[in-house]
Amino acid sequence: MKYVTGLGFCVLICVVPQIGWAQPASPALSGTVNNPSGSPVNNATVTARNTATSESAETHSDPSGHYSFANLPPGTYEVTAVAEGFGTRQLTASISAGAAQTLDIALGSASTAPNLGDLGFPTSQTSGNAADQARLDRRTHMLQMHQRLGLITAGALAATLISSGGAGGRSTSSSTRDLHAALGSMTAGLYFWTASYAIRAPRIQGTPTRGPIRVHKALAWVHGTGMILTPALGIMAFDQKNKGERVHGLASAHGPVGWTTGIAYGLAIATVSFKF
Amino acid sequence: MTKRFLAALFVPASLLAADTQWILVQSTLSYHLAHPLHETNGVSKAARGKGVCHDGQCDFLIAVPVKSFDSGDSNRDLHMLQATRGAEFPLVQVRTHLPESARSASSVQLDLEIEFAGQKASYKQVPFQLTAQGNGVKITGTIPATLSDFKIDPPKLLTVPVKNELPIKVEMTWRPQ
Repeated sequence: MKYVTGLGFCVLICVVPQIGWAQPASPALSGTVNNPSGSPVNNATVTARNTATSESAETHSDPSGHYSFANLPPGTYEVTAVAEGFGTRQLTASISAGAAQTLDIALGSASTAPNLGDLGFPTSQTSGNAADQARLDRRTHMLQMHQRLGLITAGALAATLISSGGAGGRSTSSSTRDLHAALGSMTAGLYFWTASYAIRAPRIQGTPTRGPIRVHKALAWVHGTGMILTPALGIMAFDQKNKGERVHGLASAHGPVGWTTGIAYGLAIATVSFKF
Repeated sequence: MTKRFLAALFVPASLLAADTQWILVQSTLSYHLAHPLHETNGVSKAARGKGVCHDGQCDFLIAVPVKSFDSGDSNRDLHMLQATRGAEFPLVQVRTHLPESARSASSVQLDLEIEFAGQKASYKQVPFQLTAQGNGVKITGTIPATLSDFKIDPPKLLTVPVKNELPIKVEMTWRPQ
């Protein structure tokens, strides 16, 4: 009886704890990250990538340089260790089912990694310039305003050209002429407001104009001139019509100049919007 | 005689322990940007790079000036320079590492750390193809970058922003120094 009681007690203290507190699974891969002189490296980032599935896991070394991965499926792994101030180290490890693998990693000296100075760029190409960035920011802001206002102006210009059909013929009324004149005035105002943003945008030294923007700028000379001439000719034509006269002389160029201006303006937008 | 023998013994050993260096001799990097109205490619051949191999491990650094990318349109290039904060952060820097033995492979998967527009982004396992060229190696591939990786506001045309994807095609020829 004593024997049975003793055996039961032994079972109680020897087996039950094993059931109640399961031992943690031993890590599938572990080791120590050391620096070139053999001292442990704290907080090194260690990555294990399964070469077959490309799945990766990441951990960090503790102050004693120890790292570990639990639950890594069996396979071949690329193990990479990176730490601030040291060269990167990549090794290969094979994990078998149920077997723990130890892999100590010796980081290389940081001096082996190339740095920017090795590449021989002139200082002007490596150092930032906040003032230049501010100039670029201002330029972009102004050209974005130029774009937005330019689109609004395009709408006003189209409405002006459409309304011209009822403003200049024999069977026209003064109200359609007034509408056309009002739209034309608004278009001219918007146009010069739009142009002012492009004209005042900061120039960036050392950047020659290339590509479609050259055509855009060349067309600006056409529609810019047209946008000055068209209202002037329009005033003359407006006066002649109000006097009951047929539009004649220089004023008769108002329509063709206006249409040329509109077409040049549309093309100017198209050159920077579409790839030809 | 003994000194000569020792010198002959130790000099090759020290040479073997020396670092191997690689130099980028030719490169073409091109980004691709898509907008509903048109698509743009900006190309640079101004990258410089160096690789140092030590104890079988190689660290590489490649850098390229942001303003060296040419899309054929100076206005667009200036806009890109502004959007990517290229005046404040003038270089794109790429760092990677690989085992020296990878030289003989036909393809590699590289972990890249890219510093651009004042931000850092990491790309894991980017596939590249390797082709032997004389004693050098030509490496080609595409980095799947996006504008948001570097917190770049997408440039707009006619108030419509470009797409977020910014794949960068890489062609580089390296030679040992």
